[in-house]
Amino acid sequence: MRPDVERAVAAQLLAMADDELILGHRDSEWTGHAPILEEDIALSNIAQDELGHAILWHNLRKEVTGDEPDVVVFWRDAQAYRSVQLVELPKGDYAFTIVRQYLFDAAEMARLTRLAGSGYRPIAEAAAKIRTEEIYHVRHTSAWMKRLGLGTEESHRRTQTALDELWTFALQLFVPLPDETLLVAAGVVPNADEVQAAWEETVAPFLRHAGLIVPRTRPPIALSREQHTQHLAALLAEMQEVARLEGPEVKW
Amino acid sequence: MDTQWPRYEVFEKERPDWPHRNAGSVHAPDGEMALLNARDVFVRRPNCLSLWVVPSDQVFSKTIQELAEDDSWWSAPADASAAVEKYLAFQKQGQRAGETFVIHAGEVEARSLAEAMSRALETFSHENVFVWWVCPDRTVTKSEADDAPSMFEPAHSKTYRQPNTYRVVTQMQQLKTGLALIGEEEE
Repeated sequence: MRPDVERAVAAQLLAMADDELILGHRDSEWTGHAPILEEDIALSNIAQDELGHAILWHNLRKEVTGDEPDVVVFWRDAQAYRSVQLVELPKGDYAFTIVRQYLFDAAEMARLTRLAGSGYRPIAEAAAKIRTEEIYHVRHTSAWMKRLGLGTEESHRRTQTALDELWTFALQLFVPLPDETLLVAAGVVPNADEVQAAWEETVAPFLRHAGLIVPRTRPPIALSREQHTQHLAALLAEMQEVARLEGPEVKW
Repeated sequence: MDTQWPRYEVFEKERPDWPHRNAGSVHAPDGEMALLNARDVFVRRPNCLSLWVVPSDQVFSKTIQELAEDDSWWSAPADASAAVEKYLAFQKQGQRAGETFVIHAGEVEARSLAEAMSRALETFSHENVFVWWVCPDRTVTKSEADDAPSMFEPAHSKTYRQPNTYRVVTQMQQLKTGLALIGEEEE
């Protein structure tokens, strides 16, 4: 592989891994605090799945860069993270968490379906594997979106409020990475516009079906994954605290 | 105020040659959510081929003592004009601790829960059975064959690590042992 394409692959893998890791961490904040026991377990499962996906992407990246996932995760500061702002936001109420997860899962489905045909085989294989779990995530979050959207006046209000707030954040998921044209040309990743169109084709009718108003498309909240919310540093401080007490050489 | 959702009984089939077996129960607002909750609570790690959930209040249950002592449950005969429909019958078998399971015995056609119970008692073996359950098939939410790849199969590729395999636990035990030794030295 050409070195510039290789660098772009590593950047792509890092972006995907960071999104999964940070979202998984946010979801895990509900463990022990969800509104009902069964949902607590369900969301903890989803959180674990997202961490698992992050590990898969990090392991592929290691094959390219040699970077150890544990070091990349626990010894990198906020400004070096490449997560979208959507996943950094605090967990909010349950409607907020479900809307975020739904919008993210639907975007993942659109992306993974295409990545499963990637010309870079390790990505194609990982995408196919992750996609089977995402089918379940989408089913779970869709079921909740419908029940919240069509439930009580309060559940509808909270869900619509979350949707209105999160929409421009979700759109950042489709902002191409700096060297993405190289990867599209090499057949490694799909065109971002194509992924976004597929996402909107699924999400818009579904939201209307769930009794919600689809927000009007606006510019994404940020055009670069180098811009973070203030929430990321606080999240990382907590997530990295134990690892940094001991130093990177300690074995767990 | 009772804030719990209704309870659903969960039945899991773990092998092609095994019947569906009661795994426990979950709370859920409806059948679809109950099916998803059942998956998350009961089948993330072990093998599962199929899941059924049924609202607990749709299950008509009789122990063999109740059947022997009181036949009044049968005193109201089924409405003769009611439509015949399919019911699922289950049996609780075995008495030893850890070996007590409610398993799916089969189906019967009936016009009411009481008639379904009566048909089940006529149809299936009583050997080693101490509780009988029947419920209308239409109240059961079942996983579909094509749900398996997303609902059940990912569990196969996950490593299930017992807590004692984590080094951190081992190290904490060593730490505790070390502290205990220091404590002894001081005494």
